[in-house]
Amino acid sequence: MLAYITRRLLIMPVLLVGVSMLIFAMMSLLTPYERAALYVQDIPKRPGAMDGIIAKYGLDDPIHVQYWHWMVGRKDAETGEIKGGVLRGDLGFSKVGKSPVATVIKRRLPATAELALWAALPMIGIGIWLGVWSAVKHNKPFDHVMRVFSIVGWSIPTFVFGLVVLMIFYARLGWFPPERLSEWALRAVQSDSFRSFTGMYSIDSLLNLRLDIFVDSLRHLILPVITLAYLNWAYMLRVTRSSMLETLRQDYMVTARSKGLEERHVISRHAVPNALVPVVTVGALMLIGLLNGVVITETIFNYPGMGSFLAQSALSLDVVSVLGVTLFSGVILIGGNLIVDVLYSFIDPRIRLQ
Amino acid sequence: MKKIILRLVKNPTSLIGILLLVAFVVVAAIAPILAPPPANSRDSYMIPRSGFGAAPTPPSEDHPMGTTEGQYDIYYGVIWGTRTAFRIGVVITFCTTLIGLLVGSLAAFYRGWPDELLMRITEIFQAFPFLLAAITLTSVLQTLYGRGGTGPLIAVAKVLAFFTFGHDPAKPLDPVQLQVLTGMIAIIGFGWMTYARVIRSNIMTVRDLDFATAARTIGARPLRILFRHLLPNAVFPVLVLASMDIGAYVLSFAALSFLGLGAQRGYADWGQMINFARNWIPSLATNWYIILYPGLAIVLFVLAWNLVGDALRDILDPRLTGSRA
Repeated sequence: MLAYITRRLLIMPVLLVGVSMLIFAMMSLLTPYERAALYVQDIPKRPGAMDGIIAKYGLDDPIHVQYWHWMVGRKDAETGEIKGGVLRGDLGFSKVGKSPVATVIKRRLPATAELALWAALPMIGIGIWLGVWSAVKHNKPFDHVMRVFSIVGWSIPTFVFGLVVLMIFYARLGWFPPERLSEWALRAVQSDSFRSFTGMYSIDSLLNLRLDIFVDSLRHLILPVITLAYLNWAYMLRVTRSSMLETLRQDYMVTARSKGLEERHVISRHAVPNALVPVVTVGALMLIGLLNGVVITETIFNYPGMGSFLAQSALSLDVVSVLGVTLFSGVILIGGNLIVDVLYSFIDPRIRLQ
Repeated sequence: MKKIILRLVKNPTSLIGILLLVAFVVVAAIAPILAPPPANSRDSYMIPRSGFGAAPTPPSEDHPMGTTEGQYDIYYGVIWGTRTAFRIGVVITFCTTLIGLLVGSLAAFYRGWPDELLMRITEIFQAFPFLLAAITLTSVLQTLYGRGGTGPLIAVAKVLAFFTFGHDPAKPLDPVQLQVLTGMIAIIGFGWMTYARVIRSNIMTVRDLDFATAARTIGARPLRILFRHLLPNAVFPVLVLASMDIGAYVLSFAALSFLGLGAQRGYADWGQMINFARNWIPSLATNWYIILYPGLAIVLFVLAWNLVGDALRDILDPRLTGSRA
């Protein structure tokens, strides 16, 4: 197992460098003019100013020199100040966010994390539960209903589902509004008396003992959470079901039954833990995959997170912001994958013994 | 092959899928009869407008499914969108599997450092969430194509334009088509990795089976082994299953279009039509038709491919036979 984890750890830097190179390769398709947003926020309007900036930050340099400066930053010859540098956490300036890309990400990350966390629990819990029952009731009506549900669910795009949900629960019934908080709650959250701990309103409001804001944030979260999670329930259900069916056919199930164990016990103690081994990987990858759904979901619900920021930036061709967000999510994904691999090798003895 | 089709037709769920697909093919084929483009239209994929009024109008005699904002006829868009879906789906699926096939078989064939290199590159592409990566590449390409000019990426667009729209490569690219192509290239760019990995590992498995060893023993040349023995046995099932991903790619493209990054405004594309609904969310209760019809079209299209694909997976993957009934 040690060898396996070591190999993964050794590959990680290679991947990180590769990811940065791929992002920079896309960056280098832009003109020096468009790349200037990496180092300066506002380009002076006077003629010739642009050439000065291009010369100053070496935006016309050979590509490997530029890559190096993009990674570690570039010293301003006059002020001695270092500008740019992905490794320093500087991703350039966002036209859409009107501030540094890193600042926008930091500001919007809690909103996205809140959405993903709320979506994760029901998604994994319900998906696994339905999948296990579907396998236990193999070829019974419940199983058939679940199979239809999962394949139909899997075919409904997030944006159609989200809009239909909004049509029913917002436009028709007026129960759950879009956006992140009502106006009064937003004002309260931004006031000085409200202390921000995590940036996630549903948690902060509890810590500030403001139940009214908590309820308001839940009212706003419920639809996007369902929209984000439903696709994954369907998928989770399928994975759990087929893994569970596979397990139920194993010899040790017969052994367990012939020992005279109760069926309930056989399922919960012998079948489910074994069936869940592959499900763990899928579940963890799905959590990371929520990043995909977040773009669409946040856009539909006008929810101010990283995903909607990415979509807005892409639409206004603010490429520096887009590349910054994507680089950030790529790095998160690599880290997440590493954790999944390590976890998996702990859970699955077949890998542990290799 | 015959047996596979027979089993697909016998299975009620995949039969529904096949019937749906046949229906879509028919609609796409007779689109000009079902929704004749107006006489003065330059591009029949641009939805005709009746006026410029901002608000959507409900279904009427002239517009059986109503109109979106800007008075684009929904019925026309849904019908011609079928053609767009097939074109986009087929071309993307073909290109992604082709790249996957090349990368995967090269890696498996040469092993050693080429394998290591190709697989690391594959992993790097996979390190990004797919939709985010596709959005990113779209915005970069749009900036690039917006400038016009020449270069390898323009050549790529021209080749794809030829295969997707039958556009003459000698002529300059049509901006309306180019916007569709941009989204397609972005999806292809980040869509090939799974195929490469599956094909590589399948070839690796098959390579050590007895029939491959037998071929080597009688002195067959490596390339002959690759083409005559390894590819048909390791790759054919992957390709058949990959063909079912057409639905998934149409869905990805629709997502791009929905965000405003795929087809141009007014193009007969389901995702793009749903994009119109975004401005009318508070009044969706009365304007239901602006999402219902294009939404239903996407769902049914994707569902059809998924139904057939699911059944095909059971048939082609003997490990799972019996476990899914």
